[in-house]
Amino acid sequence: MKKITIGLLAASWVLGCNSASSLDFGDDLRKALQGRVQQQAQERPGAAANVLSGIVGTSQENEIAIGRQIAGNLLGASPLVRDNKLQKYVNNVGRWVASQSERPDLPWHFGVIESKDINAFAAPGGYIFVTRGLYAQLQNEAELAGVLAHEVGHVIRQHHLKVLQQSSLIDLGGQLLAKGAGDNDKVQKLIGSGAEVAARALDKDAEFEADRIAVVLATRAGYDSYSFPAVLQQIGHVAKDDDSVTLLFKTHPHPDVRLERLSDAMGVRFDSVKGQTLPKRLYRLKL
Amino acid sequence: MKIIGTGLLLLAMLAVQPAIAAETGTALKADAIRAEPFADAKTLGSLATGDKVSILKKDGGWLKVKSAKGSGWVRMLSIRKGDAPRQGGSAAGLLDLASGRAGTGKVVATTGVRGLNEEELKAAKFDEKELKLAESYATSGADAQRFAKEAKLKTQKFDYLPNP
Repeated sequence: MKKITIGLLAASWVLGCNSASSLDFGDDLRKALQGRVQQQAQERPGAAANVLSGIVGTSQENEIAIGRQIAGNLLGASPLVRDNKLQKYVNNVGRWVASQSERPDLPWHFGVIESKDINAFAAPGGYIFVTRGLYAQLQNEAELAGVLAHEVGHVIRQHHLKVLQQSSLIDLGGQLLAKGAGDNDKVQKLIGSGAEVAARALDKDAEFEADRIAVVLATRAGYDSYSFPAVLQQIGHVAKDDDSVTLLFKTHPHPDVRLERLSDAMGVRFDSVKGQTLPKRLYRLKL
Repeated sequence: MKIIGTGLLLLAMLAVQPAIAAETGTALKADAIRAEPFADAKTLGSLATGDKVSILKKDGGWLKVKSAKGSGWVRMLSIRKGDAPRQGGSAAGLLDLASGRAGTGKVVATTGVRGLNEEELKAAKFDEKELKLAESYATSGADAQRFAKEAKLKTQKFDYLPNP
Protein backbone atom coordinates (compact mmCIF):
# COMPACT_ATOMS: atom_id res chain seq x y z
CA MET A 1 0.00 0.00 0.00
CA LYS A 2 2.88 2.25 0.77
CA LYS A 3 4.25 1.68 -2.70
CA ILE A 4 1.01 2.83 -4.27
CA THR A 5 0.96 6.02 -2.26
CA ILE A 6 4.47 6.83 -3.34
CA GLY A 7 3.46 5.97 -6.89
CA LEU A 8 0.52 8.33 -6.81
CA LEU A 9 2.70 11.01 -5.37
CA ALA A 10 5.12 10.52 -8.22
CA ALA A 11 2.24 10.78 -10.67
CA SER A 12 1.03 14.03 -9.24
CA TRP A 13 4.55 15.37 -9.28
CA VAL A 14 5.02 14.56 -12.94
CA LEU A 15 1.62 15.98 -13.78
CA GLY A 16 2.30 18.98 -11.63
CA CYS A 17 5.18 19.89 -13.89
CA ASN A 18 2.68 20.22 -16.69
CA SER A 19 0.91 23.24 -15.38
CA ALA A 20 4.06 25.30 -15.44
CA SER A 21 5.08 24.31 -18.93
CA SER A 22 3.61 25.51 -22.16
CA LEU A 23 2.05 22.15 -22.77
CA ASP A 24 -1.53 22.42 -21.80
CA PHE A 25 -3.29 19.12 -21.86
CA GLY A 26 -6.21 20.26 -19.81
CA ASP A 27 -7.82 18.49 -16.94
CA ASP A 28 -9.35 15.67 -18.94
CA LEU A 29 -6.09 13.95 -19.69
CA ARG A 30 -4.89 14.50 -16.18
CA LYS A 31 -8.02 12.97 -14.74
CA ALA A 32 -7.84 10.13 -17.22
CA LEU A 33 -4.38 9.19 -16.07
CA GLN A 34 -5.14 9.61 -12.41
CA GLY A 35 -8.32 7.56 -12.87
CA ARG A 36 -6.38 4.83 -14.63
CA VAL A 37 -3.82 4.66 -11.90
CA GLN A 38 -6.41 4.61 -9.15
CA GLN A 39 -8.46 1.97 -10.92
CA GLN A 40 -5.47 -0.28 -11.33
CA ALA A 41 -4.48 0.27 -7.75
CA GLN A 42 -7.87 -0.97 -6.64
CA GLU A 43 -7.99 -3.93 -9.00
CA ARG A 44 -4.48 -5.16 -8.48
CA PRO A 45 -2.48 -3.73 -5.62
CA GLY A 46 1.01 -3.05 -6.89
CA ALA A 47 -0.08 -2.57 -10.48
CA ALA A 48 -0.14 1.21 -10.11
CA ALA A 49 3.54 1.20 -9.48
CA ASN A 50 4.03 -0.70 -12.73
CA VAL A 51 2.01 1.75 -14.76
CA LEU A 52 4.03 4.56 -13.28
CA SER A 53 7.32 2.90 -13.91
CA GLY A 54 6.21 2.80 -17.54
CA ILE A 55 5.74 6.54 -17.34
CA VAL A 56 8.63 7.71 -15.22
CA GLY A 57 11.18 5.06 -16.03
CA THR A 58 11.87 3.78 -19.51
CA SER A 59 14.42 1.25 -20.57
CA GLN A 60 17.58 2.74 -21.97
CA GLU A 61 16.96 0.97 -25.29
CA ASN A 62 13.58 2.66 -25.64
CA GLU A 63 15.04 5.96 -24.63
CA ILE A 64 17.66 5.69 -27.36
CA ALA A 65 15.11 4.51 -29.96
CA ILE A 66 12.96 7.57 -29.23
CA GLY A 67 15.95 9.91 -29.34
CA ARG A 68 17.17 8.37 -32.57
CA GLN A 69 13.83 9.00 -34.27
CA ILE A 70 13.75 12.62 -33.11
CA ALA A 71 17.37 13.16 -34.17
CA GLY A 72 16.68 11.69 -37.63
CA ASN A 73 13.70 14.01 -38.03
CA LEU A 74 15.64 17.05 -36.87
CA LEU A 75 18.37 16.27 -39.38
CA GLY A 76 15.64 15.98 -42.02
CA ALA A 77 14.82 19.63 -41.33
CA SER A 78 18.42 20.79 -40.90
CA PRO A 79 21.33 18.71 -42.19
CA LEU A 80 24.80 18.57 -40.67
CA VAL A 81 27.33 21.25 -41.56
CA ARG A 82 29.57 19.59 -44.13
CA ASP A 83 32.84 19.72 -42.22
CA ASN A 84 34.23 16.42 -40.89
CA LYS A 85 36.78 18.07 -38.60
CA LEU A 86 34.13 20.29 -37.03
CA GLN A 87 31.81 17.35 -36.37
CA LYS A 88 34.60 15.24 -34.89
CA TYR A 89 35.69 18.15 -32.73
CA VAL A 90 32.24 18.72 -31.18
CA ASN A 91 31.98 14.98 -30.49
CA ASN A 92 35.31 15.10 -28.66
CA VAL A 93 34.30 18.06 -26.51
CA GLY A 94 30.78 16.74 -25.96
CA ARG A 95 31.84 13.24 -25.01
CA TRP A 96 34.41 14.60 -22.56
CA VAL A 97 31.77 16.72 -20.85
CA ALA A 98 29.18 13.91 -20.87
CA SER A 99 31.80 11.63 -19.31
CA GLN A 100 31.61 13.83 -16.19
CA SER A 101 27.91 13.02 -15.76
CA GLU A 102 26.29 10.02 -14.09
CA ARG A 103 25.51 8.56 -17.51
CA PRO A 104 28.96 8.44 -19.14
CA ASP A 105 28.19 5.29 -21.11
CA LEU A 106 25.19 6.41 -23.14
CA PRO A 107 26.02 6.35 -26.86
CA TRP A 108 26.48 10.13 -26.96
CA HIS A 109 26.25 11.90 -30.33
CA PHE A 110 26.89 15.55 -31.02
CA GLY A 111 26.64 17.61 -34.18
CA VAL A 112 26.49 21.08 -35.71
CA ILE A 113 23.49 21.60 -38.00
CA GLU A 114 22.87 24.05 -40.82
CA SER A 115 20.74 26.83 -39.42
CA LYS A 116 21.38 30.50 -38.83
CA ASP A 117 19.20 30.24 -35.73
CA ILE A 118 20.87 30.47 -32.34
CA ASN A 119 19.75 27.28 -30.66
CA ALA A 120 20.71 23.81 -29.47
CA PHE A 121 18.65 20.65 -29.23
CA ALA A 122 18.77 17.51 -27.14
CA ALA A 123 16.88 14.29 -27.78
CA PRO A 124 16.60 11.38 -25.33
CA GLY A 125 19.38 8.85 -25.25
CA GLY A 126 22.15 11.34 -25.95
CA TYR A 127 21.58 13.01 -29.34
CA ILE A 128 22.66 16.65 -29.14
CA PHE A 129 22.80 19.27 -31.88
CA VAL A 130 24.01 22.87 -31.93
CA THR A 131 23.10 25.23 -34.78
CA ARG A 132 25.73 26.93 -36.91
CA GLY A 133 24.30 30.25 -35.66
CA LEU A 134 25.00 29.39 -32.04
CA TYR A 135 28.40 27.88 -32.80
CA ALA A 136 29.41 31.13 -34.54
CA GLN A 137 28.79 33.03 -31.29
CA LEU A 138 31.27 30.96 -29.31
CA GLN A 139 34.59 32.46 -28.22
CA ASN A 140 36.39 29.42 -26.88
CA GLU A 141 36.18 25.66 -26.27
CA ALA A 142 34.93 26.14 -22.71
CA GLU A 143 31.85 27.96 -24.05
CA LEU A 144 31.14 25.08 -26.43
CA ALA A 145 31.58 22.66 -23.54
CA GLY A 146 29.06 24.70 -21.51
CA VAL A 147 26.44 24.72 -24.28
CA LEU A 148 26.80 20.97 -24.84
CA ALA A 149 26.73 20.38 -21.08
CA HIS A 150 23.38 22.20 -20.82
CA GLU A 151 21.94 19.75 -23.36
CA VAL A 152 23.64 16.82 -21.61
CA GLY A 153 21.75 18.03 -18.52
CA HIS A 154 18.41 17.63 -20.33
CA VAL A 155 19.38 14.12 -21.42
CA ILE A 156 20.59 12.81 -18.06
CA ARG A 157 17.55 14.20 -16.23
CA GLN A 158 15.29 12.90 -19.04
CA HIS A 159 13.46 16.21 -19.40
CA HIS A 160 12.16 15.61 -22.93
CA LEU A 161 11.31 12.01 -22.20
CA LYS A 162 9.12 13.11 -19.30
CA VAL A 163 7.30 15.58 -21.51
CA LEU A 164 6.68 12.91 -24.14
CA GLN A 165 5.48 10.43 -21.59
CA GLN A 166 3.13 12.95 -20.05
CA SER A 167 1.63 13.89 -23.38
CA SER A 168 1.20 10.45 -24.85
CA LEU A 169 0.29 8.51 -21.73
CA ILE A 170 1.74 5.47 -23.39
CA ASP A 171 3.11 2.61 -21.40
CA LEU A 172 6.47 2.10 -22.98
CA GLY A 173 7.01 -1.36 -21.59
CA GLY A 174 9.27 -2.92 -24.12
CA GLN A 175 7.29 -2.69 -27.37
CA LEU A 176 9.13 0.17 -28.98
CA LEU A 177 12.57 -1.23 -29.40
CA ALA A 178 14.05 -0.26 -32.71
CA LYS A 179 14.79 -3.42 -34.63
CA GLY A 180 18.00 -2.28 -36.16
CA ALA A 181 18.13 1.10 -37.78
CA GLY A 182 15.56 2.96 -39.78
CA ASP A 183 12.35 4.90 -39.52
CA ASN A 184 10.36 3.51 -36.61
CA ASP A 185 6.59 3.91 -37.01
CA LYS A 186 5.74 3.09 -33.41
CA VAL A 187 8.22 5.59 -32.09
CA GLN A 188 7.06 8.21 -34.57
CA LYS A 189 3.47 7.82 -33.37
CA LEU A 190 4.68 8.43 -29.86
CA ILE A 191 6.65 11.59 -30.57
CA GLY A 192 4.05 13.34 -32.75
CA SER A 193 4.87 15.12 -35.99
CA GLY A 194 8.43 15.18 -37.23
CA ALA A 195 10.80 16.81 -34.78
CA GLU A 196 8.04 18.97 -33.29
CA VAL A 197 9.08 17.86 -29.84
CA ALA A 198 12.36 19.71 -30.35
CA ALA A 199 10.41 22.96 -30.65
CA ARG A 200 8.43 22.43 -27.47
CA ALA A 201 9.13 24.42 -24.37
CA LEU A 202 10.21 22.46 -21.34
CA ASP A 203 9.24 23.42 -17.85
CA LYS A 204 11.18 26.57 -16.88
CA ASP A 205 12.65 24.73 -13.92
CA ALA A 206 14.02 22.10 -16.29
CA GLU A 207 15.91 24.86 -18.11
CA PHE A 208 17.26 26.34 -14.88
CA GLU A 209 18.29 22.85 -13.77
CA ALA A 210 20.10 22.23 -17.07
CA ASP A 211 21.88 25.58 -16.63
CA ARG A 212 23.16 24.55 -13.20
CA ILE A 213 24.24 21.17 -14.55
CA ALA A 214 26.04 22.88 -17.45
CA VAL A 215 28.21 24.91 -15.09
CA VAL A 216 29.04 21.90 -12.92
CA LEU A 217 29.84 19.48 -15.77
CA ALA A 218 32.06 22.06 -17.48
CA THR A 219 33.84 22.68 -14.18
CA ARG A 220 34.31 18.95 -13.56
CA ALA A 221 35.75 18.61 -17.08
CA GLY A 222 38.42 21.20 -16.27
CA TYR A 223 36.87 24.16 -18.08
CA ASP A 224 36.31 27.70 -16.80
CA SER A 225 33.10 27.67 -14.72
CA TYR A 226 32.00 31.01 -16.12
CA SER A 227 32.11 30.00 -19.76
CA PHE A 228 28.48 28.93 -19.91
CA PRO A 229 27.20 32.10 -18.17
CA ALA A 230 29.26 34.05 -20.72
CA VAL A 231 27.28 32.41 -23.53
CA LEU A 232 24.00 33.36 -21.82
CA GLN A 233 25.31 36.90 -21.51
CA GLN A 234 26.15 36.94 -25.21
CA ILE A 235 22.80 35.49 -26.31
CA GLY A 236 20.94 37.92 -24.06
CA HIS A 237 22.59 40.65 -26.07
CA VAL A 238 20.93 39.52 -29.32
CA ALA A 239 17.84 41.62 -29.93
CA LYS A 240 14.56 39.93 -29.12
CA ASP A 241 13.10 40.67 -32.54
CA ASP A 242 16.06 39.09 -34.32
CA ASP A 243 14.78 36.08 -36.30
CA SER A 244 17.69 33.97 -35.15
CA VAL A 245 16.44 33.76 -31.57
CA THR A 246 12.68 33.51 -32.16
CA LEU A 247 12.43 29.83 -31.34
CA LEU A 248 15.03 29.97 -28.57
CA PHE A 249 13.31 32.83 -26.76
CA LYS A 250 9.94 31.21 -27.25
CA THR A 251 11.00 27.94 -25.65
CA HIS A 252 13.41 29.16 -22.98
CA PRO A 253 13.30 31.75 -20.20
CA HIS A 254 15.04 34.95 -21.28
CA PRO A 255 18.84 34.74 -20.87
CA ASP A 256 18.74 37.62 -18.36
CA VAL A 257 16.37 35.64 -16.15
CA ARG A 258 18.54 32.54 -16.56
CA LEU A 259 21.66 34.52 -15.62
CA GLU A 260 20.01 35.84 -12.49
CA ARG A 261 18.94 32.35 -11.42
CA LEU A 262 22.36 30.93 -12.20
CA SER A 263 24.06 33.73 -10.30
CA ASP A 264 21.98 32.88 -7.22
CA ALA A 265 22.84 29.18 -7.56
CA MET A 266 26.57 29.72 -8.15
CA GLY A 267 27.10 32.35 -5.47
CA VAL A 268 30.69 32.26 -4.24
CA ARG A 269 31.07 28.50 -4.75
CA PHE A 270 33.34 28.87 -7.79
CA ASP A 271 35.60 31.60 -6.42
CA SER A 272 38.56 29.33 -5.84
CA VAL A 273 37.98 27.02 -8.81
CA LYS A 274 40.34 27.34 -11.74
CA GLY A 275 39.60 26.10 -15.22
CA GLN A 276 40.68 26.61 -18.80
CA THR A 277 38.90 28.46 -21.62
CA LEU A 278 41.03 27.17 -24.56
CA PRO A 279 40.27 29.92 -27.10
CA LYS A 280 42.95 28.65 -29.49
CA ARG A 281 41.63 25.12 -29.65
CA LEU A 282 38.09 26.20 -30.59
CA TYR A 283 37.55 24.91 -34.13
CA ARG A 284 36.66 27.89 -36.29
CA LEU A 285 33.80 27.59 -38.77
CA LYS A 286 34.63 27.90 -42.43
CA LEU A 287 32.36 30.49 -43.97
CA MET B 1 41.97 53.24 -58.44
CA LYS B 2 38.49 52.09 -57.72
CA ILE B 3 39.85 48.91 -56.12
CA ILE B 4 42.20 50.89 -53.92
CA GLY B 5 39.34 53.18 -53.00
CA THR B 6 37.25 50.24 -51.91
CA GLY B 7 40.21 48.87 -50.00
CA LEU B 8 40.70 52.12 -48.17
CA LEU B 9 37.03 52.25 -47.37
CA LEU B 10 37.23 48.74 -45.95
CA LEU B 11 40.28 49.68 -43.92
CA ALA B 12 38.50 52.72 -42.59
CA MET B 13 35.52 50.58 -41.65
CA LEU B 14 37.75 48.08 -39.89
CA ALA B 15 39.48 50.86 -37.99
CA VAL B 16 36.15 52.17 -36.80
CA GLN B 17 34.91 48.73 -35.79
CA PRO B 18 36.66 48.38 -32.39
CA ALA B 19 35.26 51.69 -31.20
CA ILE B 20 31.74 50.54 -32.01
CA ALA B 21 32.38 47.13 -30.46
CA ALA B 22 33.56 48.55 -27.09
CA GLU B 23 31.27 46.62 -24.83
CA THR B 24 28.70 48.20 -22.62
CA GLY B 25 26.84 46.52 -19.83
CA THR B 26 24.10 47.10 -17.30
CA ALA B 27 24.07 46.00 -13.66
CA LEU B 28 21.53 43.20 -13.21
CA LYS B 29 21.68 43.71 -9.47
CA ALA B 30 23.43 45.79 -6.85
CA ASP B 31 27.02 44.69 -6.31
CA ALA B 32 30.39 45.94 -5.05
CA ILE B 33 33.12 47.31 -7.29
CA ARG B 34 36.41 45.83 -6.08
CA ALA B 35 40.07 46.68 -6.52
CA GLU B 36 40.91 43.16 -7.69
CA PRO B 37 39.01 40.17 -9.07
CA PHE B 38 38.61 38.51 -5.67
CA ALA B 39 35.67 38.34 -3.27
CA ASP B 40 37.80 39.67 -0.40
CA ALA B 41 39.48 42.48 -2.35
CA LYS B 42 39.02 46.07 -1.21
CA THR B 43 35.64 47.63 -2.10
CA LEU B 44 35.99 50.78 -4.19
CA GLY B 45 32.32 51.54 -4.67
CA SER B 46 29.05 49.91 -5.52
CA LEU B 47 26.74 49.55 -8.49
CA ALA B 48 22.97 49.81 -8.25
CA THR B 49 20.58 47.82 -10.45
CA GLY B 50 20.42 49.39 -13.89
CA ASP B 51 23.74 51.28 -13.66
CA LYS B 52 25.55 51.48 -16.98
CA VAL B 53 29.15 50.27 -17.28
CA SER B 54 31.83 49.90 -19.93
CA ILE B 55 33.39 46.45 -19.93
CA LEU B 56 37.17 46.70 -20.15
CA LYS B 57 38.23 43.09 -19.67
CA LYS B 58 37.29 39.71 -18.30
CA ASP B 59 39.00 37.39 -15.84
CA GLY B 60 37.18 34.18 -14.98
CA GLY B 61 34.03 35.15 -13.13
CA TRP B 62 34.96 38.83 -13.00
CA LEU B 63 34.65 41.82 -15.31
CA LYS B 64 36.76 44.96 -15.12
CA VAL B 65 34.36 47.85 -15.62
CA LYS B 66 34.31 51.61 -15.81
CA SER B 67 31.23 53.42 -14.52
CA ALA B 68 30.02 56.69 -13.08
CA LYS B 69 30.34 55.05 -9.66
CA GLY B 70 34.01 54.20 -10.22
CA SER B 71 36.20 51.64 -11.95
CA GLY B 72 37.18 48.19 -10.81
CA TRP B 73 36.16 44.54 -10.76
CA VAL B 74 32.56 43.35 -10.54
CA ARG B 75 31.19 39.82 -10.53
CA MET B 76 30.43 38.83 -14.11
CA LEU B 77 27.02 37.44 -13.19
CA SER B 78 25.91 40.82 -11.86
CA ILE B 79 26.23 42.38 -15.30
CA ARG B 80 24.27 41.89 -18.49
CA LYS B 81 25.73 42.92 -21.81
CA GLY B 82 24.22 45.85 -23.66
CA ASP B 83 22.77 49.11 -22.44
CA ALA B 84 19.25 48.66 -23.69
CA PRO B 85 16.55 48.34 -21.05
CA ARG B 86 15.88 44.77 -20.15
CA GLN B 87 14.19 43.04 -23.03
CA GLY B 88 10.62 41.87 -22.78
CA GLY B 89 9.54 44.61 -20.42
CA SER B 90 7.67 43.38 -17.38
CA ALA B 91 8.48 40.18 -15.57
CA ALA B 92 5.07 38.83 -16.59
CA GLY B 93 5.95 39.41 -20.22
CA LEU B 94 9.21 37.56 -19.77
CA LEU B 95 7.46 34.67 -18.13
CA ASP B 96 4.95 34.45 -20.95
CA LEU B 97 7.81 34.43 -23.39
CA ALA B 98 9.59 31.79 -21.37
CA SER B 99 6.65 29.47 -21.16
CA GLY B 100 5.86 29.79 -24.82
CA ARG B 101 2.49 31.39 -24.17
CA ALA B 102 3.45 34.50 -26.03
CA GLY B 103 2.67 34.07 -29.69
CA THR B 104 1.47 30.51 -29.43
CA GLY B 105 0.38 29.20 -32.78
CA LYS B 106 1.94 32.09 -34.62
CA VAL B 107 3.81 31.12 -37.73
CA VAL B 108 7.26 32.59 -37.66
CA ALA B 109 8.05 34.64 -40.70
CA THR B 110 11.51 33.85 -41.93
CA THR B 111 13.40 36.25 -44.09
CA GLY B 112 16.30 35.43 -46.31
CA VAL B 113 18.53 32.81 -44.78
CA ARG B 114 16.74 29.80 -43.48
CA GLY B 115 16.28 29.26 -39.79
CA LEU B 116 14.36 26.62 -37.92
CA ASN B 117 10.79 27.21 -36.93
CA GLU B 118 8.05 25.08 -35.48
CA GLU B 119 6.36 24.48 -38.83
CA GLU B 120 9.56 23.19 -40.36
CA LEU B 121 10.28 20.98 -37.39
CA LYS B 122 6.76 19.60 -37.48
CA ALA B 123 7.04 18.80 -41.18
CA ALA B 124 10.52 17.30 -40.88
CA LYS B 125 10.99 13.87 -42.42
CA PHE B 126 13.28 11.24 -40.94
CA ASP B 127 16.64 11.26 -42.74
CA GLU B 128 18.39 7.95 -42.17
CA LYS B 129 21.45 8.80 -44.24
CA GLU B 130 22.09 12.05 -42.42
CA LEU B 131 21.56 10.36 -39.05
CA LYS B 132 24.05 7.60 -39.92
CA LEU B 133 26.55 10.29 -40.91
CA ALA B 134 25.99 12.05 -37.58
CA GLU B 135 26.49 8.76 -35.73
CA SER B 136 29.71 8.07 -37.61
CA TYR B 137 31.45 10.94 -35.80
CA ALA B 138 30.95 9.45 -32.34
CA THR B 139 33.92 9.63 -29.97
CA SER B 140 34.57 6.87 -27.43
CA GLY B 141 35.06 7.69 -23.77
CA ALA B 142 38.71 6.72 -24.07
CA ASP B 143 39.26 8.98 -27.09
CA ALA B 144 37.58 11.84 -25.26
CA GLN B 145 40.00 11.32 -22.39
CA ARG B 146 42.96 11.52 -24.77
CA PHE B 147 41.47 14.66 -26.32
CA ALA B 148 41.18 16.25 -22.86
CA LYS B 149 44.72 15.27 -21.95
CA GLU B 150 46.12 16.99 -25.06
CA ALA B 151 44.95 20.33 -23.65
CA LYS B 152 45.87 19.38 -20.07
CA LEU B 153 42.24 19.53 -19.01
CA LYS B 154 42.11 18.21 -15.47
CA THR B 155 38.95 16.81 -13.95
CA GLN B 156 37.88 18.07 -10.57
CA LYS B 157 35.20 16.98 -8.14
CA PHE B 158 32.26 19.31 -7.87
CA ASP B 159 28.78 18.58 -6.52
CA TYR B 160 25.65 19.53 -8.43
CA LEU B 161 24.21 22.87 -7.36
CA PRO B 162 21.04 22.94 -5.27
CA ASN B 163 18.06 24.85 -6.62
CA PRO B 164 18.32 28.22 -4.83
